[in-house]
Amino acid sequence: MFPKLDTLLHSELRLAVMSILAEVDKAEFSYLKKQTGATSGNLSVQIDKLNAAGYISVEKGFKGKMPCTSCKITQKGTEAFENYVNALKEYISAGK
Amino acid sequence: METVNEQNREMTAQESLGLISEMLNSSRRGILRNSARYFILWGILLVVLSLVIYELWHVTGSPKWNLLWFAMPAIGFPLSRLLDKKKTEVPQNVVSKQLHYVWLAYCVFAVAISAVALFTVPMNITLLIVVVLGFAETVSGILLKNWPIIIGGFVLGVGGAVVAMLLTTEAQLLIFTLGGLILVVTGLIVKSQYK
Repeated sequence: MFPKLDTLLHSELRLAVMSILAEVDKAEFSYLKKQTGATSGNLSVQIDKLNAAGYISVEKGFKGKMPCTSCKITQKGTEAFENYVNALKEYISAGK
Repeated sequence: METVNEQNREMTAQESLGLISEMLNSSRRGILRNSARYFILWGILLVVLSLVIYELWHVTGSPKWNLLWFAMPAIGFPLSRLLDKKKTEVPQNVVSKQLHYVWLAYCVFAVAISAVALFTVPMNITLLIVVVLGFAETVSGILLKNWPIIIGGFVLGVGGAVVAMLLTTEAQLLIFTLGGLILVVTGLIVKSQYK
């Protein structure tokens, strides 16, 4: 029986965001936008979904006079991401 | 880099792992490439300051110009802060943080050794600092998994210590010029390694 894939992570943009955040301490919205090449609107929506699930924490502040949003992966998010990667590996190894 | 598909289509397991791998690698490369700028900045500062102090000492005959070394952190840290103030801040990962702390520790050691040697117990400052500088460079090479940087640090630390025992105190300053050049080359190597 295959483990069920986390549907929240099984989306390209959300998975890309989680992959970046798994590597770094925290990342600004503009950095995530640059790395993923996504539009601001769609990225905002996906970040809100990850935040609502408790996978990331979002901090809104200012950089000088400009608003600045930073995202950080949470412990719950790290565990979900690890489980997702392990599940993918099981799928792939079973297919060989 | 490629733009992530914004549609929430179903991905295969291979595609998902491929995307994770691409995002991790791209982010890692960008972060480490960014750290190259700090090697180049501090390397240039070391070359310029060592040559200026050498020249002033040579012309005036006074070793008191060595006090200018304390200007290095005073100039270097504000310049580093300026480099940080980019429109999009590049985040830190494990390796870039470790590099930061290695060089921060080097800076603390260098300032402390210099202060002790100048104001309390006289000792061969060049020899001690060049060993710590070479050590920090070698540790950076290990963190970056780059053999030329590891070897460069070893040659600078051990070779510099031997040369420091052979040269006059005035000429020893040129060892730091070489150290600065090695830092600049390190920055260029990191830049090309992670482009």
